[in-house]
Amino acid sequence: MLSSQPQPLPQLSPLELSLQIKSFLSGTDPQHGHKLSPRDHARCSLLLLQCLPPARHAVLEHLRTVFHDSVSSFLSERDSQDALPPSSSSQRRPPPPPSTQGLDEVTLEVQRVLEEFIKLNPRAWAPLISAWSIELMGQLSSKHAGRQGMPHSASLNELLQLWMSCGATRVLMDIYTHCLSTMIGSCPDACVDALLDTSVQHSPHFDWVVAHIGNSFPSTIISRVLSCGLKDFCAHSSPTDTADKRVPKLGSVVGILGHLSSRHGQSIRQEILRMFHESLRPGSKQQRATLPYLLQLAALSPSLLGTVCQDLVDSLKPATLSQLQQHCSTLPREELDNMLNLSVHLACQTSAGAPRLLRFLLDTAMPASVITTPGLAVHDSVREACDRIVRLLLLSLQKQVYGRPGSRGTSEVQPRAVPFLEAMRGHLPELCAEMLRLERKRHLWIHQLIGLLCIYSSPPCSSEALCILLTLAQSSEELGLAVQLHAVLSSSVQGLAQAAVTRSVAQIHAGALTDKCALQLLQNLALVVQCEEGSMGREVGMALSEYLSDFGQLLLHSEPGVCEAACILLCSCPLPTSIPPSQLHILIRSSSHFLFRSMHIRSSSGVSSASRLLLRLCRVSSAGRKAVLNQLVEGALHEGNAGLFGGNRPSSTGPRLGNDTASLLESNSHLGSAVDFSGSVWSVFHAGVIGAGLKPEENSKQLGEEECTENTQSLLSLLCHCCARKGEDGGQSTTLDPEAAKTLAVTLTENACPDVTNSELAWPPEDHARTTVQRDLLIYKCFCQNPLLFQLLHLIAQGRPALCYCSVLLRGLLAVLLAYWEASRHQDSVSSSWHLKASCELVSCMGEGQLLPPALTNMHEMFSLLAPFEVRLLLLSVWDFIQENGPFPQRFVFQSGRGIFTRDFSREGDPAKYMSIVHSVLHRNVDRLGLLSGRFQL
Amino acid sequence: MSDIRHSLLRRDTLSAAKEVLYHLDIYFSSQLQNAPVPLVEKGPIELLEEFIFQVPKDRGSHTKRFSAMQELQLLEILCNYFQEQNKEAVRQVIFSSLFSPQGNKADDQRMALLGKLTSMSVAVCRVPVLECAASWLQRTPAVYCVRLAKALVDDYCGLVPGSVQTLKQIISVSPRFCCQFITAVAALYDMSSEELLPPHNLLEMIVSWIFDDPMLILITFLNTPITANVPLGFLDFSPLMGLVRWCVTAPLAYRRKQKAAGGQLPVESQGLYSKLHLSMLQGLMVLQTHLTEKNLYGRLGLFHFDQLVPLVEELGQLCDELNPLNAEQEMELALDRLAQALQVSMATGALLCARDDLRTLCARLPHNNLMQLVISGPVQPQPAHPSLTPGYYPHIHTPPLGYPSLPAHPALPAHTPIPAHPAVPAIPAIPGHPVQTFMPGMAFPFRPMR
Repeated sequence: MLSSQPQPLPQLSPLELSLQIKSFLSGTDPQHGHKLSPRDHARCSLLLLQCLPPARHAVLEHLRTVFHDSVSSFLSERDSQDALPPSSSSQRRPPPPPSTQGLDEVTLEVQRVLEEFIKLNPRAWAPLISAWSIELMGQLSSKHAGRQGMPHSASLNELLQLWMSCGATRVLMDIYTHCLSTMIGSCPDACVDALLDTSVQHSPHFDWVVAHIGNSFPSTIISRVLSCGLKDFCAHSSPTDTADKRVPKLGSVVGILGHLSSRHGQSIRQEILRMFHESLRPGSKQQRATLPYLLQLAALSPSLLGTVCQDLVDSLKPATLSQLQQHCSTLPREELDNMLNLSVHLACQTSAGAPRLLRFLLDTAMPASVITTPGLAVHDSVREACDRIVRLLLLSLQKQVYGRPGSRGTSEVQPRAVPFLEAMRGHLPELCAEMLRLERKRHLWIHQLIGLLCIYSSPPCSSEALCILLTLAQSSEELGLAVQLHAVLSSSVQGLAQAAVTRSVAQIHAGALTDKCALQLLQNLALVVQCEEGSMGREVGMALSEYLSDFGQLLLHSEPGVCEAACILLCSCPLPTSIPPSQLHILIRSSSHFLFRSMHIRSSSGVSSASRLLLRLCRVSSAGRKAVLNQLVEGALHEGNAGLFGGNRPSSTGPRLGNDTASLLESNSHLGSAVDFSGSVWSVFHAGVIGAGLKPEENSKQLGEEECTENTQSLLSLLCHCCARKGEDGGQSTTLDPEAAKTLAVTLTENACPDVTNSELAWPPEDHARTTVQRDLLIYKCFCQNPLLFQLLHLIAQGRPALCYCSVLLRGLLAVLLAYWEASRHQDSVSSSWHLKASCELVSCMGEGQLLPPALTNMHEMFSLLAPFEVRLLLLSVWDFIQENGPFPQRFVFQSGRGIFTRDFSREGDPAKYMSIVHSVLHRNVDRLGLLSGRFQL
Repeated sequence: MSDIRHSLLRRDTLSAAKEVLYHLDIYFSSQLQNAPVPLVEKGPIELLEEFIFQVPKDRGSHTKRFSAMQELQLLEILCNYFQEQNKEAVRQVIFSSLFSPQGNKADDQRMALLGKLTSMSVAVCRVPVLECAASWLQRTPAVYCVRLAKALVDDYCGLVPGSVQTLKQIISVSPRFCCQFITAVAALYDMSSEELLPPHNLLEMIVSWIFDDPMLILITFLNTPITANVPLGFLDFSPLMGLVRWCVTAPLAYRRKQKAAGGQLPVESQGLYSKLHLSMLQGLMVLQTHLTEKNLYGRLGLFHFDQLVPLVEELGQLCDELNPLNAEQEMELALDRLAQALQVSMATGALLCARDDLRTLCARLPHNNLMQLVISGPVQPQPAHPSLTPGYYPHIHTPPLGYPSLPAHPALPAHTPIPAHPAVPAIPAIPGHPVQTFMPGMAFPFRPMR
């Protein structure tokens, strides 16, 4: 029991006292000579402590052994308990072995006596006892650290639990805390100093003590540990001392703060900040050393750095900065340099606060502008200093990045991490965006930083940065930054352009970019490929060529701008030597789709770029050309596109499209309505579908004449270029490649007339045409809807002998026209303008394709002057001629001199017999047609 | 010596220490038989340094230190040795060779061990050790003495509560040690700062010692041959001067401490100082009888005028410092005590000086009636006016109420003819120049008090 009154001292006579000394020293009972029990020995030592002041060191030394014994017995008892089967562990503890019995009691007695002393004279005893107890705890922790069954020194909680369950150590801990709490009001430095010293000695095993004490007296321990560290730092900071000497104590300061930082981070932060701000006031040497000390501290402990950095940066207001500057200006140059280097090193080590730190540094280092609020502007010298720090930081990062062993992939050593860069990695997009603002100086720094960042975290980061820049750059100046970045990185990063492009493509596909961004990205890529003859353009181009199909898909993007940009990109990027057919087809399909779409939205730039692309694709291979032609024709004839070329655009695809209620049951109850009769005899009736009433009038919205012409011209010239003979490009007098023209012809035929039955090239007799009425009508309708067809036929006709392959179309149209003219009851043919025009076109076309001899061809010139039946007669003679002289390609002969096929009609029998009708008609209307008679001379 | 050393090197530390003591005992005993004053050579001291103070002799050899336990054993051995060696001269020479400061790095160890040895001897009452320590204190520069005093004060007045009683009892066995101890303590706590005020229990003990026997402060003085002069930097022969300083400066020093700490004046301490002051004055009276007996009155001073100078100056500074603090009472008390001490010491022959010197010295002190009286001196007896008592003071000021009829008063006429003294030069004594150089080389009988 502790009483408030001092206990009466045991009064011993000098003789008794010397006997006690003897027995204490020898460990035996002076009277009886037997050995003292540990307990009695300890009691004897306590007696001496109270009566013989000079013996206190010896007594404390003896008490050490008492505590050692007590702890050992506790641990061995624990071990033996652990060895027992688990069922018994829940039972009560067995009594301790007799030899150590009562040691716990003695330790309590020791505690009582010592605390009594401390209470009576704290100033004298507390430092002594605290040092003793803390050192003893250190010894105990180290001694038993390696023991089996001991928790690892990292698991603080288990260790703490274990040691606090041991009576002896608990007593020691109580004694120490008692010392500390007694001294806390006056000067706890002595106690804390002992803690630091011991912590240096027994570091990992001793941590539980520090943690416990730190948690009991957080604020005191934090501030005292810091100030003791500072004191020690000051004491050893004379220039003769080497740095390694002061590391131990600093190390233990760091260790202790590290323990406390998890729970008392806030206090630590406040305390350090307080020290920092206090040190800025003009003051003593200790205050001058504060700054280097704090820096050193932070350098030793990353967690401390992380804790403090953010708040520190926040607290650096212009006023504080100028204070700091004034403070630093008094320091010697060498010291200043050291501090600067250390700060830069710390900045490199910053991780959590890195973005904030960077922003702060850049903001401060930026030259003042007019916009800056006058009160917030920093002093010039501060700015210069900051500028210097930024440059040093970049330099240091550069050293670290390029100096890393693994940066070239030569070594397997794990490269040293640079926390600053690690942390900035996540903020790459912000950095890029900031750089693109092109603020002076700042963007250069950021550019350099991004470069380092990219090399540091090589594979993903560099491509990301490049990708971001390509997405965001809006002017050539900004794009130039991306190119520069590539130039910087390309030597260190393999396949950078490749990766960047891959990433961009992935971004586009993932929908991560807005249309605007995607558009910008595509434009930038195209620009890079077009304008950069340097490595970047080439590499990007090569990379792009792997993603042709992906860009091809973009041609179908809903946003026309994106399509166009993709199209331009595709135009500019080099094509690989061989494109897989599937890819090629995808490209062709999408680009032709884009072409027609551009026509729809009247975007001439889109049309031209699409045309360029198609032309490009067409030159890839013959299959490509085929596909292009195919697509173009198919597209041009597609009913949705017919209107583009002056054709009729069907207003609705189906009669029921307008109905909201589409019931399967209802439609089934109407016989025949749901069955597709196309191709059968039922669909012959064009007036409408039975049951649906009359077909609605086709109220097509015709495009303007000019647009139609323009579109037609564009398409034709494109086709023309596509079909151009290889090596002949661009000239006016292009000769078409027969093969290409054949493709065109076949495609046209297939599209205009899907029904291929009975569609051989040879023509049957005219009256057999009745069997193909339906097909002929389809063909007729097709021509009606697509005036373009005639143009196409003309084109084909030029590529002789390709027109032969259109013989079905020609025959079908001719059959319909014959029937029309036969039935026509008009006085003159001009009354049915379309048919007249069609007849003229047809004949001239056939003539152009050398299916008809020139004399026969010329008849179309007088069609408009004739009566319908006369037209029919003339057309019949055409039919007859062709029936006789079938439109076969083999009739054409290649003329190597001119490089074209021609047909020599003179060798095919007498054309005169086909001319008789022409001549008779001529005769009959000689009054009007006499002028023309010269045209029909053989 | 070197063969002894070699044999000792093989021993463990403790027995080596024990043995070196044994060898030196034999060595000095034989030396003492040949010569009355043994010559302490370098050899034995080096041996002691190596084996008792554990100072490595060669640079290469590692330092082994006693553990605290071994040290305690060593202390016990030393205590027992001094107890059992009954030849005083051997004890003295061994003690001296053990603990005389050599000015080398072993001195710290030496002082530490001496402190512990003395402290232990106090506890277990080893008189021979204490006597040796008393001699040591006389022979050793004051800086070391102060360290020993500090060690003892720490042990008995600070660390172990209540143990001051043990120290107090020492007076009954070794007053000589106590006298020297008080001198050292007075030198240690010179009241120049707050830390240097004596601890209360120490003060209490000293006051009770002196109050019980004022002779205590004179023991060393009376046991020292008069030829001996106190060299510079050594302790005085008597604690008197130091204690007078305590009494005089105490009121102001405590007031200053109170000002700094803002607490209450420790009344009981002030009471103790009053008591101490009285004992001082009584001690001086005793001195007078002794001097008169020896026919040395007026020829041998206990302290010098030079020693007064720093005291008066310090008092002046303290007064200046505390002046704005309404410390009139304390200043009055301090000046009164000074005046009394001066008057009595002059009257008893402890201080030999001219009043003119005093006047110049005390001129800068604040005004004090008693002091005025003291420095002006008594009116010279006029043979023509037998009605005037010899001790009559002119009424310059109202005489202080406190001491109208001091018991020491009748003694005053004995020393009125001060100018007759050739000892006191007209000019103030040159510092460092002992005042009693005029003294004839007559032997002052060595007269132990017991």
